[in-house]
Amino acid sequence: MLTTPTYELTKSEKSFISQHLLFAFIALAIGSLFGPLQAFEFSGVDFYPLLEPVIQSYYQGLTLHGVLNALIFTTFFITGFLTLTTIYGLKRPLKYPLLNRIGFWTMVVGLLMAAVPILLNEASVLYTFYPPLQANVFFYFGLTLVVVGSWIEGYGFIFTWREWRKENPGVRTPLMTFGGLITMVMWQLATLGIAVEILTMLIPWALGLIDGADPQLARTYFWFTGHPLVYFWLLPAYVSWYAMLPKQAGGKLFSDSLARIAFWLFLLLSVPLGFHHQFVDPGVPAGWKYIHAILTYAVFFPSMITAFTVIASLERAGRKRGGKGWLGWIPKLPWNDPSVSAQLLAGILFFFGGIGGITNASYNINLVIHNTAWVSGHFHLTVASASALSFMGISYWLVPYLRGRRLWSRKWAQIQTWLWFVGMLIFSNAMHVLGLLGAPRRTPLGEAPYVPDEWSGHLLRTSIGGAILFVSAYMFVFNIARTWWSKKLLAGPDEEVEIPVAESVHPAQETPAKLDWWTPWLIGTVALILVAYGPQLIEQIGNIDLSSPGFRP
Amino acid sequence: MSEVPGDGSVQTSLHIDPYERNWMRLTVVLLVVFATAVTIAGFALGFQVPSPEERVDPNTVAIGDGPFGEPGLRAYPDGSYDLYVVAQMFSFAPNEVTISAGSEVTFYVTSVDVQHGFKIQNTNVNMQIVPGQVSKLTMTFDEPGTYDFICTEYCGSAHAQMYGTLTVEK
Amino acid sequence: MAVSRRKSKDMEEITSTEEEFHPKGTVLVLAIFVLVLILLWATVYLILLSRGMTTV
Repeated sequence: MLTTPTYELTKSEKSFISQHLLFAFIALAIGSLFGPLQAFEFSGVDFYPLLEPVIQSYYQGLTLHGVLNALIFTTFFITGFLTLTTIYGLKRPLKYPLLNRIGFWTMVVGLLMAAVPILLNEASVLYTFYPPLQANVFFYFGLTLVVVGSWIEGYGFIFTWREWRKENPGVRTPLMTFGGLITMVMWQLATLGIAVEILTMLIPWALGLIDGADPQLARTYFWFTGHPLVYFWLLPAYVSWYAMLPKQAGGKLFSDSLARIAFWLFLLLSVPLGFHHQFVDPGVPAGWKYIHAILTYAVFFPSMITAFTVIASLERAGRKRGGKGWLGWIPKLPWNDPSVSAQLLAGILFFFGGIGGITNASYNINLVIHNTAWVSGHFHLTVASASALSFMGISYWLVPYLRGRRLWSRKWAQIQTWLWFVGMLIFSNAMHVLGLLGAPRRTPLGEAPYVPDEWSGHLLRTSIGGAILFVSAYMFVFNIARTWWSKKLLAGPDEEVEIPVAESVHPAQETPAKLDWWTPWLIGTVALILVAYGPQLIEQIGNIDLSSPGFRP
Repeated sequence: MSEVPGDGSVQTSLHIDPYERNWMRLTVVLLVVFATAVTIAGFALGFQVPSPEERVDPNTVAIGDGPFGEPGLRAYPDGSYDLYVVAQMFSFAPNEVTISAGSEVTFYVTSVDVQHGFKIQNTNVNMQIVPGQVSKLTMTFDEPGTYDFICTEYCGSAHAQMYGTLTVEK
Repeated sequence: MAVSRRKSKDMEEITSTEEEFHPKGTVLVLAIFVLVLILLWATVYLILLSRGMTTV
């Protein structure tokens, strides 16, 4: 009844996943060029004039940084990685490989279509693209195709799982597959917001079919997707932390049941809380903002479960490796494995991301930090640490596995993960402090007239942190590139890269069957979205006012 | 997807370690404490966030007879003020305002072009300015001094230049 | 059948090493985390209170 104990991916499966990663890493390499330019500008060192005419403005650079790193790198990496967790977890090929290929190439076409206007400075609207700032219509078409492509890949995973379920009745869905499926199903629901925003408002408006946009309604649509987007970034990292990292650390998952409960709660709670990004918006009633604040508190709960389960798994592993005392298990963990150190350090940074997140979500406390540098500092601890650094760690075994080549340098990889950690601590701490002092986000502070002397030390720290992060990002890119095209093929069985699959202390089959049952959770998720968003959507759509003409930045 | 998968012959149970169970309880307590503190500040003490005030037409709001046609301070006999501000690329009108210490000011801000931010430094006045909407908050200024109000939302190339000054005199 | 065989194998491991495992270190790490969380959250909360009321 249990399927074969091992499953070797076919050459074409490996190359399909590799294609995802290639686009992801190219996006990361280009997008990361612009991060330090922002950070240096804060100290008054502005490289942008030197980049003309290729890059024409600070905001063109910032748009490239946000779109390529936060949207493209993540989406391509995630769809590639979750292809692996689907087929390797289920130990069967994709049901419709062609469907997934169509999804992937749809994303590629979308990426190229959006890239052209961005590179021509025709879409310097940042990755939130709030109207009435208007981009070239191909920017919106491109983003739409990227999202639609990711949907199609998600359908491919779901069809594959349904086929597996028919072949394996009564078997618990392997955790890595389960987490990936939840990520993609959540993503389907969550992206309805920007789909409606782009298709019903922004595209007709950019084409001149309607005279104006409704900027407030657009914000509501955007943040319907915008917060769950964070969980789309994060959950694949959780998949690795729960279903792979315990094995890499030499142990087992502490609780399969609680891991599944956490994933279900993320499905249930990721979407109906977007108003916590709109606490200071004029067009959303305070009462609804308060309700979404409380729902955001609720989604903190599964992350706290995750913290315990993952750390306990690591503690168990560290004790098996000879760790003694309260904390003696920590140094016993295999820190010399860059894949492990990346994920451990990502987890530590994410502690601070969580603290900032619960602060942001706290209704009126948001007044202190809204639209300040605090926010950018915060999401560099989530998407750029918990997710990005974990993805780098995953890449350190995934790329050798897919390409059949030895990692070019473990030493570089190890140093790279620590540099990211140190650089991010400096950068994000400075950004948080700047935010508390009132520094706005998305602003070239080097040229702002209202910057007091008090900020200068922190602005400098931002630059230093940014420089370290840049070095780290390029050490990663270089290492991966050298590995990718290396001539050193893996030789023999002792060099073989194994996909880490963590067993659970209590086998997954002992987890209650109800935790593998979608119907009640899907009904609950849709119901909660309707309750939390329905009345305001009816109100705001009912009062739609398409009177804002577009402005090209 | 519609049925509970069969259990086979395996005994199932929800294994929750007692330590982890207590951690989950602690998490709930912590969140309840935070929520209580936030609720008290918001609804008992009056630290509130903006709520819908008025819809306007961004194309005409600043040229009609309405209060935004002539933005600026309106003083009332009880010593309080209304301040109407029009935000546009890349300035606030007015951008210099003087009031006396101890006075209560109600800010009404709207935009005639793109989205902006309106944040008064060292206070909790922090609003998204959305075309078609009026953002409103009220605050009392007891401390004399100079308060910059800055644009905190990207509004175009010269966004960093967009600010004004509120002076509170003794 | 495969299921029950796998189960019994793991049960052996559980009885030999699992029963004594109490995640005390995890509790300590998370206790430190919660203290830092409360401290930093409360700091920003107090900044909010110190900056004065905003009413609607």
